[in-house]
Amino acid sequence: MRRSGRLGGDLVLGLAGLALFAALALLAGVLAPYDPHAFSGQPLERPSPAHPLGTNDAGHDILSELLYGARISLTVALGAAVGTVALGALVGGVAGTVGGWLDGLLMRLVDVLLALPRLPLLILLVAFLGAGLAQTTVVIALLFWPATARVVRAQVQSVRQRGYVRMARSWGGSPGYLLHRHVLPQIGPLLLSGLVTAAGQAVAMEAGLAFLGLGDPTAKSWGLMMRFALNLPGLLLTDRWLWWLLPPGLCVTLLILALTFTGVGLETRLHPRLRK
Amino acid sequence: MQRRILSYLLTLWIVLTVNFLLPRLLPGDPLAALLDPQSSDYVFDAEARAALEAYYGLDRPLPEQYGRYLLGAFTGDLGRSIRLNRPVGELIGAHLPWTLLLTGTALFLASLLALLGGTEAAWRRGSWRDRVLVTAGVVAGNAPVYFVGMMLLILFGAWLGWLPLAGGRTPFAHYDTPLAAAADVGRHLLLPALTLTLALVGAKFLLVRSSVVSVLSEDFMLVLRAKGLSEGRLKWAHALRNALLPFVAHLAAHASMAITGAVFIEALFNYPGMGRLIFEAVGARDYPLIQGVFLVVSTVVLTANLLADWLNARLDPRLRAEQ
Repeated sequence: MRRSGRLGGDLVLGLAGLALFAALALLAGVLAPYDPHAFSGQPLERPSPAHPLGTNDAGHDILSELLYGARISLTVALGAAVGTVALGALVGGVAGTVGGWLDGLLMRLVDVLLALPRLPLLILLVAFLGAGLAQTTVVIALLFWPATARVVRAQVQSVRQRGYVRMARSWGGSPGYLLHRHVLPQIGPLLLSGLVTAAGQAVAMEAGLAFLGLGDPTAKSWGLMMRFALNLPGLLLTDRWLWWLLPPGLCVTLLILALTFTGVGLETRLHPRLRK
Repeated sequence: MQRRILSYLLTLWIVLTVNFLLPRLLPGDPLAALLDPQSSDYVFDAEARAALEAYYGLDRPLPEQYGRYLLGAFTGDLGRSIRLNRPVGELIGAHLPWTLLLTGTALFLASLLALLGGTEAAWRRGSWRDRVLVTAGVVAGNAPVYFVGMMLLILFGAWLGWLPLAGGRTPFAHYDTPLAAAADVGRHLLLPALTLTLALVGAKFLLVRSSVVSVLSEDFMLVLRAKGLSEGRLKWAHALRNALLPFVAHLAAHASMAITGAVFIEALFNYPGMGRLIFEAVGARDYPLIQGVFLVVSTVVLTANLLADWLNARLDPRLRAEQ
């Protein structure tokens, strides 16, 4: 049996990581020594007091790029996660409440989207829609909502069948009252953990697309930094990867893990039965 | 099963249609840009431009384009790559085996590790070893595969110099025996396959562990133990065996995960598979190639889904009874 102290550990660790990245993103303007788009040094400088992480091939300060990159990752994560969960809740809620042929149709759509390999579809959509941050955010939300929809639908159906809800209905509870009083409180926790999961996937996908060369060229995200670093021939044969490739890679990984641990912590807290 | 096949065909048709409509309905018309001399995406090579026009047939009515497109897809005509000026079908034929080799190896290794590790962890649930394994599983399953790959590449490829940095085999190599050729391919496969295995093993491990844990509390386990069966038989012949169904049911989802991982890994390791192909196509705005890769990869994953469903129905007596 895992002890409750350990369970809190996941959540505390995850939230601390998220708070750290949020602080970096908010304070990027104060903390960053330079404008990440300014030519603040010679190209490919080694780390020095003036440039703690050196400069990239265009002479931009890498530390400043890294700090501003947090803003991009968190913005995309927030936008895509809210979009994913809103769409999923809407579709799942409608399917679970209305039922009938509409439910069948919507769930077929969910099955199709869940069966397809996500990344090739994502690449296809972004390649045709253009690689802007807004497009990336929207496309991620459009592809990732089915998982939430399925969970929400199941929960709505199960709540509507419960004795106390049927009783409330038979006593004349209006649909709005039922939704507000009985259904939403049962779905809220699901949406919260769905939000965190979706945010983690969005961070990984945004950075991954930029890494594949499908990033917004005007927005210096961590994925784009990795792409530019890897584009330098022979990068791995010198020690340059240590301050150019490693920091953005580590940031993406730590942010995703912070979100993952928050999600795991939330789930165990919200579903005590999983504590085994 | 008939319902499954029907829904498989329906999904396949949706994939084909989305792939057809996407470039034609989008604002900005990316295909027209390739043929417009004013555009920055204009294809200068006259031969490639002619092939492009012939394949998409944008001057014809939409239903006719659709008919020709479907016919082409079923006869293997997927157009011509703009950048490489070779038929897309031929390029895919040359790259698909590498991706199947990579994903097949990784799926096999990850499954093996997850079945062994998941059962052991469930057997000792709550111990410090179990906790370490669960945390490692969560981390490995969620860390971005391109970062894990980079670290392995730097460690084993650049720093220790034990394994090649990139490619599927040594360029221009001449092998005396088939064995030497296989050894070279294996050496190049090792790092990409290890990366993909790490990416897949986390989710599989957590799945096996939780299914074995739920089997452990079943009454039949208590009876078997009371009968005096050995620990080994209890663990492997009964606990694991009864926990296999969810593992099989998730095979299709894991195949899809493997494709996602393979795209990143092939781009990173310059591995000559489908991921590398789509990565290079994206860089060159080579739309026929991007579409072709999407179509073939989707078909492969959907077919894997169908096979997994079939396997699942064969193994699960409850599903078998439904038919």
